[in-house]
Amino acid sequence: MAVHSAALVLCYAFRNEWSFIEIMNTSEFNALTADMDFTDTTALIIDDYQEMRSIFRDILRSCGADVKKISMAASGSEAISLIKKTQFDIVLCDLDLGSGKNGQQVLEEAKHLSLVGSSCLWIMISAEKSPEAVTGAAEYQPDAYLLKPVTEMNLRLRLAKIWGKKKAFAEIHQAMKQLDYSKAMSLCDQRLTSDKANAADLLRTKCDLLLITGEYDRAKNVLEKILAERDLPWAKAALAKILLKKNDFEAAKTLLEETTETNPAFLEAHDLLAQTLQAMGNFEEANNVLERAVKLSPNSVLRQKNLGAVAMKIGKLENAERAFRKSVSLGEDSVLKTADAYFGLAKACSASKKPDEAIRVLGQLNKSFATDEMRLKVLAVEGMIYHQSDNAEKTKQIATEIIQLIDQDAIHPDSDGSLEIARLLMVTDDKDKAIKLLQREIKNNPENAALLQDVAEIFDQASIGEEGGSSGKCVLLGLTDKDIIGFMQRHNFEFKELDISETIGHFVQSFYLVVGTFQRPG
Amino acid sequence: MKENSVDSIHSVSNMTNFLASSVHDMKNSVSMLIGGLEKALASNEVTQLSTHAELMQMNHEAKRINNNLIQLLTLYKLGQKIYPFDPQSICLDDFLRVMVAQYRELLKFRAITLEVRVNPELYWYFDEDLISGVIGNALNNAMRYTRDCIYIIAEEDEGKLVLRIEDNGHGFSSQILQECDDCARGVDFQGGSTGLGFYFSAMVARMHHNQGCLGELKLENGGSLSGACFVLCLP
Repeated sequence: MAVHSAALVLCYAFRNEWSFIEIMNTSEFNALTADMDFTDTTALIIDDYQEMRSIFRDILRSCGADVKKISMAASGSEAISLIKKTQFDIVLCDLDLGSGKNGQQVLEEAKHLSLVGSSCLWIMISAEKSPEAVTGAAEYQPDAYLLKPVTEMNLRLRLAKIWGKKKAFAEIHQAMKQLDYSKAMSLCDQRLTSDKANAADLLRTKCDLLLITGEYDRAKNVLEKILAERDLPWAKAALAKILLKKNDFEAAKTLLEETTETNPAFLEAHDLLAQTLQAMGNFEEANNVLERAVKLSPNSVLRQKNLGAVAMKIGKLENAERAFRKSVSLGEDSVLKTADAYFGLAKACSASKKPDEAIRVLGQLNKSFATDEMRLKVLAVEGMIYHQSDNAEKTKQIATEIIQLIDQDAIHPDSDGSLEIARLLMVTDDKDKAIKLLQREIKNNPENAALLQDVAEIFDQASIGEEGGSSGKCVLLGLTDKDIIGFMQRHNFEFKELDISETIGHFVQSFYLVVGTFQRPG
Repeated sequence: MKENSVDSIHSVSNMTNFLASSVHDMKNSVSMLIGGLEKALASNEVTQLSTHAELMQMNHEAKRINNNLIQLLTLYKLGQKIYPFDPQSICLDDFLRVMVAQYRELLKFRAITLEVRVNPELYWYFDEDLISGVIGNALNNAMRYTRDCIYIIAEEDEGKLVLRIEDNGHGFSSQILQECDDCARGVDFQGGSTGLGFYFSAMVARMHHNQGCLGELKLENGGSLSGACFVLCLP
């Protein structure tokens, strides 16, 4: 076959005429990426395969990078120790790093510990598209995801694009950092008039800003205008967030159900929907929603923990244990690991009659989260585990220890800790002390509806205040009718023709159900 | 009897998982293969080699394998309802540049002229990875059957993005056009067409939706080069 060197032609349309540009080599791409000078660029390549590392190094070298300034890591922990030493301009990171930390966890840790600044270009590379690429929260997002095989052209163009985006957003992010949201907003508006390449991200940032500053009506207007043109899942999720802020759970639920149906991969909508259903007291449905979400993306420490918590609420102990266990094991390599997952796992084990394992899990907690508050909370939960395994002696012993600490005023448990201690003291016949603790918590957090729900649950479990009905519980908690009415008014709820004592009763048993019986003004 | 059927269900689900995980693994190998070939082909001496043509062909085939593996994996995930579908606002000019760049050397080598007609101001929402698979299919097909010229045209028409890949070959056979209308491309082992590419492309087209409209895929003969036309419309 004869080999010709045929011209590759690219044509551009300006108005209605076609103009032709003839190209023979890569010069057009070099022009596109002309303002990118790699000579002083420090780069880090993270991949567990040696062959892949050298392929990426070759690509960077042909982009013009100095090989001496390219570092390579074969594992997540090796990468972190390199990132601690050097400020890298570019990080190419494989998502799947074999055992140990994965690429996402490396990124989370680097961002969490402020090891990489906003000037670092982080590109996540994977063999197939990852569900984490489709997510709402930008906090721990890389600048781009690339699928293998990565070619020089591909990488160059992507880097140029990110570069342009970083430039476009530099001032806006600066203003946001200084909490000057109105400046950030006007910068967004300014850019939106001319910058088509970043228009989608600018609009999204503008909506985020309106949500931060609480301008819900303006945000709603912008979002509805966007949605009139295109079904964008993030815009629907943002609209749902506004509905949630206004306590319109029913409407938020409808919108989110629609979003998860048409865009199942948009995980933020699943999480928001589960949160909405939980607020409505529908734990069964919340559980189903989270089950679907973890099937799509099983590697989120927080989502697995949330799933464990709702599964526990509806008595699916086996599922709860599985989810908490997954959250704990994912957390091993992640800075996002949470003590709640360990507590959840310990409680799930205890509830399924595995007290020894529950105690073991608590032991890990003391090692990983060594604070006084944590130790106290661990102690209280431990007491409950002994109670559930009918070890009255040990239970009493721990309760006595805690009461002594309280009486000496030697400890100051946080909100969660107080609830755990109250749970324990309820079963060891120290009810007065438990109620006192709960009273203090409610006084310190008068607007926290979830706390009220938890307190009501503790009361129910301990059969407290039954003789006086729900309003009896209010009295026990030191809440007056005036407190309740004030709370309602602050939250913009109007009273219908409802008996006030009935209202209070509902209020404590389940705040959100009461909310449903009121009409919002206007 | 009952136990047997349970066993067979087990083995089927194991088999699917094996297939999916091996495909994933094969993708890694193919990526390395392509990386190595690209590096070899980028050197100046390579054009002097007697095996240059074979190397070019190998690189092209490796990319085809990669495309097919991606498509198999995607279809598997779509079936499991776990594909992370992610439409973003994409600049068509940039998108097509990257697409075309992958084929530049091979086009030159085969003496095929490729024209891309796109307004640099044209942006559209779509899943970049999926659509690049679809355009890759269409380009591979066009390169195989064209005489010496291919057009890629991207334009907005009545609120939809229309992507056309046209060539100056003999066009599609009437049988293929008929099957396309019936949405029933089957496997043709002798003709070397597995139907995978078409099935994948049609599926991807339909996944794209906006305000109640679905994307669609059409095969036609004619167009500005009087050959085969592969037409993808996205709402």
